[in-house]
Amino acid sequence: MKSGLALFVHSARRARTLILTVAALLVLFQVLLTLGAESLQKATSFPRLAALIPDVFRQVLGPSLLTMLSFSGIACLGYFHVAVLAVLVGLMIALGTEPAGEAETRFLDLVLAHPVARHWVITRTIALLVTCAALLAGAMMLGSGLGLYYLVSSDLARAAFRPVPKLSLNLAVLMVGWGGIALAMATTVHRRSVAAARTALLAAAFYMVDLIAQVWKPLKPLARYSPFHYYNALSVITGSGNASSDIIILACVACASFLLAYIIFQYRDL
Amino acid sequence: MPLPAILAHGLTKRYGRLTAVLGFDLEVAQGEIFGFLGLNGAGKTTTIRLLLDLLRPNSGNASILGHDCHREGLLVRALTGYLPGEVDLYGDLTGRELLDLLGRLRHQPVDRKYRTKLQERLELPDKDLRRRLREYSTGMKRKLCLIQALQGDPPLLILDEPTEGLDPLVQESFHALLFELKRRGRTVFMSSHVLSEVVRVCERIALIRRGELALLASVTDLHKMAQRTVRVTFSADVTVVPKGLPPEYEVVELQPRMWHLRVRGALGALAAALTGLPVCDIDVMEARLEEVLIRYYREEGA
Repeated sequence: MKSGLALFVHSARRARTLILTVAALLVLFQVLLTLGAESLQKATSFPRLAALIPDVFRQVLGPSLLTMLSFSGIACLGYFHVAVLAVLVGLMIALGTEPAGEAETRFLDLVLAHPVARHWVITRTIALLVTCAALLAGAMMLGSGLGLYYLVSSDLARAAFRPVPKLSLNLAVLMVGWGGIALAMATTVHRRSVAAARTALLAAAFYMVDLIAQVWKPLKPLARYSPFHYYNALSVITGSGNASSDIIILACVACASFLLAYIIFQYRDL
Repeated sequence: MPLPAILAHGLTKRYGRLTAVLGFDLEVAQGEIFGFLGLNGAGKTTTIRLLLDLLRPNSGNASILGHDCHREGLLVRALTGYLPGEVDLYGDLTGRELLDLLGRLRHQPVDRKYRTKLQERLELPDKDLRRRLREYSTGMKRKLCLIQALQGDPPLLILDEPTEGLDPLVQESFHALLFELKRRGRTVFMSSHVLSEVVRVCERIALIRRGELALLASVTDLHKMAQRTVRVTFSADVTVVPKGLPPEYEVVELQPRMWHLRVRGALGALAAALTGLPVCDIDVMEARLEEVLIRYYREEGA
């Protein structure tokens, strides 16, 4: 336990600047989005924005378009914006592939030549992934809360905050899931760049599959295998989806990845 | 009888079709300084990593101080200090942070006084430990890694190329430190390809070649195996050829006033062969153990 904690503190200290910077940017982004949503709301611009959308996109996006172009949709844009998702998943991949990096630099030789059980290396990374996901999702929630409660402070704003905790939880579990996949990938290779690139490609491919499946039905069966399929932010905002089951499925993906990582790492050569 | 510090039986490690270590047997007694020699890629580091359970053998087993390296890996590693041959240290850490981190991974807390003493011996003062590792030279990194291996004062030290990158003065200090450790009953297992160093500090050596143990001998035995060069000069021309010399005597050159021989073992037979001849001088050049080892490296000594 002592050695696991020492490894966790070491990794957290090395990653803290990056994590805290991203967290601060996310808080700021969410506050700005809230202010932007308020500005659009005051100018009654949402119907005009919706009218500008071409028919083809309106048909494809269906009712979710209206959600997106609403006060809640804009205030929560950060939760489903592709750039934010890319940053969050990328960060989790970077953290999850740490064991491969340590094997590559032979730092693991130094660590595991001490009386440290191998599972602590994986447990440390899992703890870091969960902490980081909780911190970043918490930062987003904080940004939304600050914006909606202290800067906008209207009944509409309070209503807009209602889905945020569930949205944050769903996003956090999605992040942990991708971190877990990166970790499992990292236990199979000796180079961090290989593990990170493979996981990033997989994430990009699954994101595209899930996105395209929304407009092209033949892809729908395949989309079920994408973790992104279980993070439907707009459904959470409207309260129409079943976020709880999505969260459970993503948690299962994360747990399965962690288990795989433990097993592979226990028996592999370093 | 005390348990051997290291005991390996038939250790074999394969990477696909490449055999890195094959049927490796070894016994290292407690309290000895043992040299592990081999060319690059011979299997030295693989063997060491098998002992530390970083690699898993395809067959065979090894134990350290009576504990199985795999089944009782944690215990084994609590009894061992390890210096890796190459490691890329995190540049954003300070030397002290690295030592503290690795110290916290040990079961027993590190004795600060002992660590300070090691720092003094290896010339890595506190002000250097406060610097980031990215500012360290190769030699400083090596010293830091040596300190981390030694700081827990474990009964067994496994050192992979310990003096690589150290300046001659620190090498001297390090050798003195090894002798001191030996006096305190510690066992040192060190790999090297610096033959002179191994011959100087080790009591026994093992030479690994293409993954197989090619030679296991004490340094005393090596001396016996080494050929001394003997040059006999005569005050008058000698026409007879040396007779009755045992096979350990190799005649290199015969001239009327000079014989040049290579001798493995005692010189008594030569003295007998020279009886009655006008010997002017006998020049015996001491054997170079390196030559013996190089013969084994070149597979001539098998």
